[in-house]
Amino acid sequence: MSCTVHIPSPLRSYTDGAHRVPAEGATLGEVLSSLEARFAGIRFRVVDEQSRIRPHIRFYVNTREASELSAPVGSGDTVHVICALSGG
Amino acid sequence: MTLSADERARYQRQISLPEIGPSGQERLKAARVLLVGAGGLGCPAALYLAAAGVGTLGLVDFDRVEISNLQRQVLFGSGDLGRLKVEAARERLLALNPDITVRTHALTLRADNVCEIVGGYDIVLDGSDRLSTRYLVNDACVLLGRPLVTAAIHRFEGQAMTYLPGQGPCYRCLFPHVQEGAAGSCAEAGVLGVLPGVLGTIQASEAVKIATGIGAPLIGRLLSYDALQLTFTELPVSRRPECRVCGEHPDISVPQESGGLCDTRALASARRLSAAALRSLMAVGPTLVLIDVREPREFAARHLDGARNIPLGELERRLAEIAGEGSPVFLCRSGQRSLAACAIALRAGVASPGHLEGGLLSWAAQVDASFEVPPD
Repeated sequence: MSCTVHIPSPLRSYTDGAHRVPAEGATLGEVLSSLEARFAGIRFRVVDEQSRIRPHIRFYVNTREASELSAPVGSGDTVHVICALSGG
Repeated sequence: MTLSADERARYQRQISLPEIGPSGQERLKAARVLLVGAGGLGCPAALYLAAAGVGTLGLVDFDRVEISNLQRQVLFGSGDLGRLKVEAARERLLALNPDITVRTHALTLRADNVCEIVGGYDIVLDGSDRLSTRYLVNDACVLLGRPLVTAAIHRFEGQAMTYLPGQGPCYRCLFPHVQEGAAGSCAEAGVLGVLPGVLGTIQASEAVKIATGIGAPLIGRLLSYDALQLTFTELPVSRRPECRVCGEHPDISVPQESGGLCDTRALASARRLSAAALRSLMAVGPTLVLIDVREPREFAARHLDGARNIPLGELERRLAEIAGEGSPVFLCRSGQRSLAACAIALRAGVASPGHLEGGLLSWAAQVDASFEVPPD
């Protein structure tokens, strides 16, 4: 299943500046693996060694929060990656 | 708090809004709003709040005006370079509206002073550029029952959310734990000058709504703005029952600087070197591992002999480059990014990393006056 992933500003260095990228997967975890295959290193910025979502990252599938990597993602969905920002 | 004839004339366009009217304007006059940070966000917010007739504005900032601030910090001009931001801001705001009171707090917020300062105001806007300050201010607002409008920016992107006591999630519910260096900051990545103008005025708008009791604040809604695409995305945020400060069993009764206790404990083991101490180390240890975590542009302009450049944003994935070479000492312009580098290194298991306290600015001030530190 294909979806679109919204990349937050601090992670766009991995996607050559792209703010939206296509990805594959039926769960959030699969979508992140699909991203990692294209943009090496991006998964570790959002998920830790124990595959837990990092506490300064939030995921949404469309407008529903996805707090587990097992959260389902449907065809045509938009996955939002929200990263804490510190600039003032 | 009644309005004078001059005030009725000044605020006529606002008073004529039925949602505000004379009573709303009187509430604005009675309101005391604290702005944490007189930077990209605080400047536009303060200008609009002063113009709108908020009776008392408080400004917290220990910094002085630098030339790299002027592209976005619209309270200041070229003639203000080197002045305390809060002093220059006060002058500008009183020139705009002499009927208001502007209180200045030229200090760093800490656990032992944040409640006293926040307690003197009715509404708080957080526009600081330090994550540790964001948690401190959040905790103080939750513990003291003060509304908090938080916003943050990075490159072309901004976020905002409002907390009202007892009515929605707080900043710790949004991001329970953030390590310095993990989140994007303007110093390392840059920021579009007009971006904080958009977010700062959203904060000011929220403050006016809260003070006058109108409209629907951004409670439980994270607003994410992308200036490049011009999109506003609103995402729901729920209270976390396990939140350490506003949850069902809170364990924070005094505001805390960091996102988590482990940060503080871990950072306590980082070596904090003064400029003089670093000079001594460099003299006796030619194999010292000096890592400059500024951006390549800053590094190219001027750096210490023997230092290598690994920008903070790349440090996590490039730590392997310095593995086995001994304990690194991180350097940056002011000591903020180098401390974040220590946190990243400690998290990755590097033994006793160090950093230059006060950064290369302190090196220039204490060791080598000819060392010119470029702006960040």
